[in-house]
Amino acid sequence: MLRPSADDHRVVGMHTGKIVTGFGLLMVVPLVTSMVFAEWRTAVDFGIGLAACLVVGLGLQQLCATTHELKRRHGLVTVSLSWVLATLLGALPFSLSGQMGSYLDAIFDVMSGLTTTGLFLIQDLDHISNGLNMWRFVLTFVGGQGIVVIALTFLFKGTAGSIYHLYSGEGKEDRLVPNVVQTARVIWLISLGWLAVGTAVLTAAALWLGQTPVRAMLHGLWIFMGAFSTGGFAPQSFNTFWYHSVVFEVLCVIIFVAGSLNFAVHWAVWTGDRAELRRNVETRSFIVTLGIFVLLAAVGLARAGIYPDAMSFVRKCFYLLASGHTTTGFGTVYSRALVTQWGPLAMLAIIGTMILGGSSCSTAGGIKGIRVSLIARALREDARRLLVPDAAIISSHYHHIKDRVLSEGAVRSALLITVAFFVTHSVVTTAGVLAGYPLVEAAFDGVSAASNTGLSCGLISPAIPWGLKTVYIVAMWLGRLEFMAVLALLGWMWSVVRGR
Amino acid sequence: MRHRWLIHSLAAIMVAVPSVALAAPVTSGELIEHPEAWDGETITFTGEAIGEGMVRGSEAWLHVNDDAYADGSIAAGAAPAGYNSGHAVVAPPEIAEVVRVFGDHRHRGDLIEVTGVFNAACSQHGGDMDVHAHAIRIVRPGAETRETLDRGRLTALVLFTLGAAALMGRLMLVQARR
Repeated sequence: MLRPSADDHRVVGMHTGKIVTGFGLLMVVPLVTSMVFAEWRTAVDFGIGLAACLVVGLGLQQLCATTHELKRRHGLVTVSLSWVLATLLGALPFSLSGQMGSYLDAIFDVMSGLTTTGLFLIQDLDHISNGLNMWRFVLTFVGGQGIVVIALTFLFKGTAGSIYHLYSGEGKEDRLVPNVVQTARVIWLISLGWLAVGTAVLTAAALWLGQTPVRAMLHGLWIFMGAFSTGGFAPQSFNTFWYHSVVFEVLCVIIFVAGSLNFAVHWAVWTGDRAELRRNVETRSFIVTLGIFVLLAAVGLARAGIYPDAMSFVRKCFYLLASGHTTTGFGTVYSRALVTQWGPLAMLAIIGTMILGGSSCSTAGGIKGIRVSLIARALREDARRLLVPDAAIISSHYHHIKDRVLSEGAVRSALLITVAFFVTHSVVTTAGVLAGYPLVEAAFDGVSAASNTGLSCGLISPAIPWGLKTVYIVAMWLGRLEFMAVLALLGWMWSVVRGR
Repeated sequence: MRHRWLIHSLAAIMVAVPSVALAAPVTSGELIEHPEAWDGETITFTGEAIGEGMVRGSEAWLHVNDDAYADGSIAAGAAPAGYNSGHAVVAPPEIAEVVRVFGDHRHRGDLIEVTGVFNAACSQHGGDMDVHAHAIRIVRPGAETRETLDRGRLTALVLFTLGAAALMGRLMLVQARR
């Protein structure tokens, strides 16, 4: 293993500095929000946070200034390191607010936001400032597109192919257009287009539901950000149970399902190819698996017999399962009601949806539809092979933006990530059980963290041991970056110590 | 039988206000942990009204928190003491309108006592766990809260800003030279 040279460190440091600077500039949004609402203490907290990010980001850029080219391993390490620094610095305003039990709790919330998980340890959420609430949603919205994507959009010039290593390191591989910087801009164009329409519709709905104009506007914006990023943060501790409206729930489902779709599918539809939505292998896979798990949950709920009529039954069941499958984490029941009312079978169905997750190159987490489809097709192909003569040639095809032949390489890659996810799920579940929680509850919240979903059955709270919080933080990070970038950082650190 | 009038009077009072007199005081935690035990029961529940009252035609939705922050939020100086905990309440607007101040970052909401029927999964409201209130009483009126700025934070802000400005200036200078 080769020890990285000083130039290697400089390349990583300079690009990390750029991303941290871009991340810090995001704090302008909550800073302005605090000033608009005359929340001066919060404004000062964000002023400190912004300045700290600039000191670290600009300092790294100057300390590591180099003209050396960015290579794949630099890209992966840069992404991973940027996420670490962004999380540590983004936690400053949380910690300064006094709403967190410890700095670790603040790190937990930032990692949860950036990874679009939606679990939180912030205390007294119902009394936090608008500025701090805005920061939670900026984190989750930007995290959905990727902090590297935002840096590529605004801070990187040119069309250098090497920048693709930064983009792919953040768990997105599809190029919507040939140029990766343009791809990042297209992702933002799609997201901002949805932001404008989604916020307007949700604000109108919130006004109709009886909220005051200012609160309706803030809730409309925040719920959109939480839904489209499949983040699951909500402005009140009641989550989307706050609204008590089927219309609002339908709007949320439309937005979070849209957020869980591949940006390439969005772009295809945006540019006139509407058939892609119907033909895409991930969309089809999502519909099939959602149907299976909704049925499973329905059996569990029917056994429990808690819902008095079909409408309530369908509304609660479908909303939570869709929320789990898109890894959004919005809920319309109390967390503990999953244990006290829904029971183990329905909880297992939600766990199943969370494990599978949404589409690749989307804001969603989990194994992703494309991998589920590839593995399912490979299994079917192998089964067919057993039933036909040895000389017969069997091949499988699937449609993802274009028609593709199922290759061994693609299946192997899908299986590797899938196995990595299952190992992570097993580790977080075991950690929960070791901390003294029942198996199903440990599996539910553990899988929720590792798949970046955010639904909770009440296990995760500020009172859980710090070790368990750390396990969940790492699981969220691994799940969002899909292992490779994190492993690259660990490998980098190892080669610094033991390399030749 | 000299006290027959007293017995008759007590009976009359109990008939007149049965639900309030027989309501059982309970916490949101107990309702969520044991919903089947309280389903359909008339309960009394005390907590801080938060957010806003959402009036929709013949009903208004309120959210009432009976957590550690009902008497003072972290923003107002209380120490962190766990998550918020509360319950959704639906009432006719004329009953809900007694609530004037709702808790948020700037306000300690009215502390209210809600009396109503608890539903583990309400058929009128899409399976929501709620309380159909028929009486709301203000226990303690809400008030505006004030936040204070401390000198340590302002000093940190100035120092970090100066550092960032110096680095920004140096970067611009280097770029201009190139």
